[in-house]
Amino acid sequence: MAKKILKRSDLTKLVASVGKAGGAFVAPKAVANGLVEYVFIKKADEIEFDYIVPGKSFKEANFPQTEVVARFKNDPEGVTVEGVELNPPRVVIFGARPCDAKSSESLNSVFTWDFIDEFYTKREDAMVTITVACTTGDNACFCTSVGIKPDDTDGSDLLLRETEGGDFTVEAVTDKGKAFIKEEKAVFTEGKATPKERTIFEPRKLDVDLEKIGEYLKDTDHYEGDLWADMARKCIGCGSCTYACPTCHCFDITDEGGFSETERRKNWDSCQFDFFTLHASGHNPRDRQYKRWRNRFMCKFNIYPGKFKTKGCVGCGRCVRVCPVRLDITEVMEEISGA
Amino acid sequence: MEKQLQDKARELLESGKADVIIGYGWNRDKSHTTPVFIKKAEDVGKLVFNKLCVNNLSVYLTRKYPDVYAMGKRAIVAKGCDIKNIVVMMSEGQLKRDEVHIIGVTCDGVIFDQDAWAKAEDGSADMGAELKDAVTATKCHNCDVRNPHLTDTLIGDKSNFTPPDEPVGFVFDKIKDIEKMDSRDKWQFWMGHFSRCIKCYACRQVCSLCYCERCISDKNMPQWIETSAHLRGNLAWNLIRAQHLTGRCTFCGECERACPANIPLNVINQKMSLVMGEAFDYKSGYDPKEHPPMIVFNPDEDKDDFIK
Ligand code: SF4
Ligand code: SF4
Ligand code: SF4
Ligand code: SF4
Ligand code: SF4
Repeated sequence: MAKKILKRSDLTKLVASVGKAGGAFVAPKAVANGLVEYVFIKKADEIEFDYIVPGKSFKEANFPQTEVVARFKNDPEGVTVEGVELNPPRVVIFGARPCDAKSSESLNSVFTWDFIDEFYTKREDAMVTITVACTTGDNACFCTSVGIKPDDTDGSDLLLRETEGGDFTVEAVTDKGKAFIKEEKAVFTEGKATPKERTIFEPRKLDVDLEKIGEYLKDTDHYEGDLWADMARKCIGCGSCTYACPTCHCFDITDEGGFSETERRKNWDSCQFDFFTLHASGHNPRDRQYKRWRNRFMCKFNIYPGKFKTKGCVGCGRCVRVCPVRLDITEVMEEISGA
Repeated sequence: MEKQLQDKARELLESGKADVIIGYGWNRDKSHTTPVFIKKAEDVGKLVFNKLCVNNLSVYLTRKYPDVYAMGKRAIVAKGCDIKNIVVMMSEGQLKRDEVHIIGVTCDGVIFDQDAWAKAEDGSADMGAELKDAVTATKCHNCDVRNPHLTDTLIGDKSNFTPPDEPVGFVFDKIKDIEKMDSRDKWQFWMGHFSRCIKCYACRQVCSLCYCERCISDKNMPQWIETSAHLRGNLAWNLIRAQHLTGRCTFCGECERACPANIPLNVINQKMSLVMGEAFDYKSGYDPKEHPPMIVFNPDEDKDDFIK
């Protein structure tokens, strides 16, 4: 049976139809000089097709940079607290990459771990992830070295593959995906034969051994070893890597507003900030930048795999590309693998 | 030039004049340069200098890096423009002249965006490729310190470059464009850019003149700037930062390079520099004895008389 097809020219219809049903559409868009990001779009012609991975992952759609989780009012009668009931619309993510799609599982493990964070889960439930398999990549991509393929279906509801003609073949992965195809059947057409698909990008394979890295990190003797200072001293603690990373999930709760009205907000936070572990006493257990960087590495390759079945790092390469001092996580992975 | 640099580094380390050389090295793929800290004479071969050496390493001289400080006597590989930041740090009492050995390198310009540089088959940088205007930092088009102005050691051949009388390049073109806008368009231009700010503070972290151990944005008793990455918080942050850098910023360009949201921070900082030039006839980064105007109280030299 021939695969279903999504024509590039039909995206206009799809965006409009999702919008008409009250949903929102997120897709890669060129937002500034040389920068493509996942953003909410209104029209299909905003979509950018020429990208490797957008600057930040689409985690923003489920885990916004800042959001109100409660409100306080202070009047002569006293203080009233008002919760925020979320009732998110359907959000269609178009143009996800397999690494990003996979990362949804990782975020889900955290946000459903010892407490169900409905601000995350409700949004995730309402999300449809349409992934486009990678036909392009760069030297920072390393998904295959952490066990993901550039045309993996995990985490996606639909997986699209680009055809030579610029359209997409469609593979339904989940029930949610199948239901979506049914709902939008006007744009998911069926031809007689499957058109020729473009060649999938082959990222370079790193010389890394994840198990060995895990073992190395578990050995507490290595915790205070010279490796961290030697390799990560140059880190300037800018936090860009954590904000760009699809699996980084730390947040801070802060109250904002005035005397009579206040909002409680959930904001992205980063383990790369010195404030992150600063105690009220003034003591900071991670008192040097390289120790903060060590934490990020530990989180990806020891803490995460130890707690969850999902991946701490999906190999998207964002942290490598974005780092102003080119502190390359894969160089450290290789160093430890070869140790 | 690299040989000269490495020989000098060896000499400094062996003679005990320096315990650590803060310089540039290659990353694994030789596609980008990256900061290195050389402690042993046998490692000096790692030091390189080329047009990809865009980082301003002077940030590692600030008190934000107690571990670099603890390494002992510091020597730093610095381009003229990086030295400007060192000069401002000195004029603001952050660094004493004898606390750092400056290995000045003469320079033909650097590329603004290492990723934009021509790459060979294997992904390494194509060092033979021509340094085109489009990828050269605006600061380099206008540079008057290609022969570094404050050094302990000078490496490299003399540059004969003379900067144009009027500043040229992308940043200044943009400033001119914005000057022509009315206030509504200006507001929209900046709010459009600031809306992308994610409050990562990369701009602050990469800047050697943002050396405060407790940035105003981190103060929460009381809170001065909302930490949330909404438009109000983003505007407050970017305005405060621009103000704190006014008359001090040297246009090293690091903040814009580091900004993951591609916000044109150079345009703000350079506009402020132009204003400071007009108002106080002052340019930062040249004389360690001269203080930036915003930290000086000097009624005698005020050219306006409204305050007297
Ligand atoms: S650690 Fe880096 S490569 Fe891994 S998922 Fe995060 S940003 Fe991507
Ligand atoms: S590793 Fe790089 S991107 Fe991450 S905080 Fe350090 S300097 Fe910034
Ligand atoms: S501004 Fe001058 S010294 Fe600095 S990189 Fe450009 S040419 Fe070199
Ligand atoms: S504000 Fe930006 S351009 Fe100015 S000195 Fe700091 S990092 Fe350099
Ligand atoms: S680097 Fe850019 S995104 Fe980050 S805080 Fe500064 S202006 Fe905002």
